[in-house]
Amino acid sequence: MMTGPGIELVDVTKRFKGQTVLDGVSLAVPQGETVALFGPSGAGKTVLLRLIAGVIEPDAGQVRLGGRDMAAVPPEDRGVGMAFQNFALFPHRSAFENIASPLEARRHSAGAMRAGVETVARMLKIDHVLGHAPRALSNGQKQRTALARALAGRPKILLLDDPLCNVDAKLRFEMRLELPRLLAEEQAATLYVTQDYREAMALGDRIAILDRGRLVQIGTPADIYFAPATIQVARLFGDPTINLLDVIPETDGRRPFARLSDTRAPLDTGLVHAVGRPCVLGLRPEALRFVAAGTAGAVPVTVEAETPLNEKTVTLAVTKRGREILVSRPSGTPGPVDGPAHVGIDASHAVLFDRSSGDRIVPKADADAHKRGAAA
Amino acid sequence: MTDGRPQPALTLDRVNKIYRPKGKPPVRAVVELSLAMNRGEIVALLGSSGCGKTSTLRMIAGFEPVTAGSIRLAGRDIHQLPPARRHVAMAFEGYSLYPPLTVRDNIAFALKAKRLARDEVARRVQEVAHLLDIEDVLERYPSSISGGQQQRASLGRALIREADLHLLDEPMGQLEPQLRALLRGRIKHFIKERGLTVILVTHDQTEANALADRIAVMENGVLQQFAEPASLRQRPANLFTGTFIGEPPMNVLEADVAVTERELRFHLADGVTLGYPHTAFEQAACAALLRRGRVVLGIRPHAVRLAPTGAPARVEVNQWLGDQSHVAATFAGSMLVTVEHRRVPMAPGDVIGVAFAPEDLHVFDIDSGAAIVHGRRAA
Amino acid sequence: MEHESRLERWLRGIALALVVTFFMFPIVWIVLMSFQTNETILRMPPSLLFTPTLSNYEALITGRLVSNAGVLEIEFMSNLMNSAILSVGSVTIALLLGVPAAYAFARHQFRGSEDIAFTLLSFRFAPPLLVLLPLTLYFQELGLADTYVGLIWVYQLICLPLILWIVRGYFEDISPDVEYAYRISGHSWWATFRDIALPLARPGIAAAGLLAFIFAWNNFIFALVLASADKQPVTVGALAFVTASGIQYGQIAAAIVLSIAPTLALALYAQRYLVEGLSLGAVKG
Repeated sequence: MMTGPGIELVDVTKRFKGQTVLDGVSLAVPQGETVALFGPSGAGKTVLLRLIAGVIEPDAGQVRLGGRDMAAVPPEDRGVGMAFQNFALFPHRSAFENIASPLEARRHSAGAMRAGVETVARMLKIDHVLGHAPRALSNGQKQRTALARALAGRPKILLLDDPLCNVDAKLRFEMRLELPRLLAEEQAATLYVTQDYREAMALGDRIAILDRGRLVQIGTPADIYFAPATIQVARLFGDPTINLLDVIPETDGRRPFARLSDTRAPLDTGLVHAVGRPCVLGLRPEALRFVAAGTAGAVPVTVEAETPLNEKTVTLAVTKRGREILVSRPSGTPGPVDGPAHVGIDASHAVLFDRSSGDRIVPKADADAHKRGAAA
Repeated sequence: MTDGRPQPALTLDRVNKIYRPKGKPPVRAVVELSLAMNRGEIVALLGSSGCGKTSTLRMIAGFEPVTAGSIRLAGRDIHQLPPARRHVAMAFEGYSLYPPLTVRDNIAFALKAKRLARDEVARRVQEVAHLLDIEDVLERYPSSISGGQQQRASLGRALIREADLHLLDEPMGQLEPQLRALLRGRIKHFIKERGLTVILVTHDQTEANALADRIAVMENGVLQQFAEPASLRQRPANLFTGTFIGEPPMNVLEADVAVTERELRFHLADGVTLGYPHTAFEQAACAALLRRGRVVLGIRPHAVRLAPTGAPARVEVNQWLGDQSHVAATFAGSMLVTVEHRRVPMAPGDVIGVAFAPEDLHVFDIDSGAAIVHGRRAA
Repeated sequence: MEHESRLERWLRGIALALVVTFFMFPIVWIVLMSFQTNETILRMPPSLLFTPTLSNYEALITGRLVSNAGVLEIEFMSNLMNSAILSVGSVTIALLLGVPAAYAFARHQFRGSEDIAFTLLSFRFAPPLLVLLPLTLYFQELGLADTYVGLIWVYQLICLPLILWIVRGYFEDISPDVEYAYRISGHSWWATFRDIALPLARPGIAAAGLLAFIFAWNNFIFALVLASADKQPVTVGALAFVTASGIQYGQIAAAIVLSIAPTLALALYAQRYLVEGLSLGAVKG
């Protein structure tokens, strides 16, 4: 299904007024793949899309589309479809004319144009408002019109700049379910910018994480979630946020462990080389569970408070040394409400980071990590 | 706080707002809104854009005259008073900091007018700045800081004031999700510690759920329901609140109610039938259902159960989000979403069995949208 | 805000009436004067009751003014024609040059762009007399003195900065994303300028063009120095009514009415345009 080169960025750098906005970004998105470009605002996501579209030029590095260097190619000849965060509809033209603009540019006949627009409008369920001016459209219809315009020219390169950020939660959810089918049909190389980690996980075949102009990690949703490259990445994914505890791993000669509440929480055997180093232990709230006292490796805690979070119950527990841990479980499942309790830690779901660099410490002989990814 | 008995702080009595634009039909932005909140309570006005929540806020603040009705705050009728005499503090959605003042002076502005001692002002500003994570930009000017920082400064300026009522208009709309989640807890703690009475206007239900003691859901200028977050979710008063509250949104299916000797039946589209023993619903609920005939069934995505023996549904998408999976399937002619708290191995095209327990069902009137049944009980 | 009593409403009404009277009075008076003879105008005390006469207009249109001092040839109609040629000509050229320049200044940061834009604006600051003397000399040398081309050229000092600065603001208000979207759809930069930027800035261009037209029409000093009788616009031509035998108030009034009529008509026409433009709104998404 994935065939041919789509988007290729080689060492792309961009500066504005002496500030480096993109710093040596290299990324390849083959035809048929969707890569979610995720990062906090100001990370350079929008600049990256504009470089690919050709409305701004890189200071260094190469943008290649469909295998061709784009250095001297103006935006209108790049064969790119793009949807903007603020929709950027032409306010003086009807929805139909907006969507038709890529076809009009290629001098399609009136009949071909009408057919093209209607196909994509039906797909996005806006065929009944094609005659309206943008200001007469609801937010959701505007967003669909913008998307339809990006798709109408059947581009091989599709750039979607957070197209759902300006629509309400319900519509955002519905579109998130619809988009994969749409993208699969197009078979374009798609770069999907988002600030919502759920959207990135749901829509990206792979996720690329951009932070302050640098690509921090590229990988499948499972890679990013279970093996985040840095503390920062770990924090950006997951709700509630991952628990981060300062630890210095020790070893009993057989396997490494971290000391929590005077209890030995076992770590992955491949992490022996981290013993004695100041580290940060990352524990996903949903990977922790309350267990009976006396279970091997169970950490004694005191339950402080319980808050519902969107069909989950999040429990705030405190270790003996006053460190806070969040434990989450599906609403309606039993759990302690207050007082002493024990938390069980699954070593295979714990992530260890170097405290000074913030980078993940990769277990040696990561063979079982692959098994884990496949099983999860 | 006080002796435990709730004291009325703000009362809206049949408040209406009608805009009369020139040459266009009048717009009823707020219709017969009555609402009473207690001192020290946090109430969220929740709704999509254009639902009337901002008009309501502006009427309470005094930026917009009330067309009809009255507003009482701390025992005084305030709807005739100019904004400055209402003892109301407000954080604006559009920041509205004074450009020639530093962030520190902006936040301290209202305190300086009150002639507080200088070190007391400095202490309070420091406290609020720490709360909102803007200590590092206190000496900067509004134009040189980011939108998110401006918004937090504007929020700080409102929270620091002493007032009978604090109004917060989308106070965290410009902030990033992680920061928003962090600040929610801190702000709630701050508000509760000082016993402030707060109205929060938001379109984000996560925010309303996390901060508010009670939520007023509005749509088309009409108050749909005013209740605690949990009861909004468990006992939505109508189809609107039912589908508006909860993420992902509630699944809805139209059905004909029928009764046989053994079962109460819901006939859905495409010949799908859900049957329940008569004992599954309480008698009053049964009677209410049978009176209707045609109804709307609501079932939350989290409550849809996967059961091999259940009714068949065809998987369209399966999205794994780390802690949960969202599966959308075609069921009885419409889209049914289910949420599983794990990664499920389903691919588009797979046929799965789904089942709905009677305690998870919500039933609404097909015409008025009013709730008929929640779980096994009549609404 | 509607916290206002009946008294406040009354006071506001009276204040508005005063303002309107203050601004409208001269115009009404001029119109009344234009239908009177010099004798009735100069009557003391002035009166609103008079027998209207079209003699002033007649004199202007036929070009023959019969007064007690004899027959005076006046060239008002050709002055009016000159005003039209000069104003329309200079505004057209200023639009052709200024709108693309404004677009360039709004969209592209090139070296010295701010300096060039400011220099153009600074022409508006300089007293016209300062540039007139050298210009007269140059123009005589170049053979441009007393030509339409020469005058239109000099009028660019008035029109070009005005159009450039007003239209630039309108171009800057259009979200660049809208233009990017059009280019990415496959249109050249020229098509984007023509199909997106120009239509969206239309209200601004109309406003700037209108203002430039009024300024050009009302200009006095350039034409006074650089044009001889047959190229003079109405502003200079009106001087002819100050004759040795007295000031022809009636004709002056009629001349003023005729000369403000085009600008007034244009303003009324464009007003509709401007309001429509402002309510277009949705430019920023």
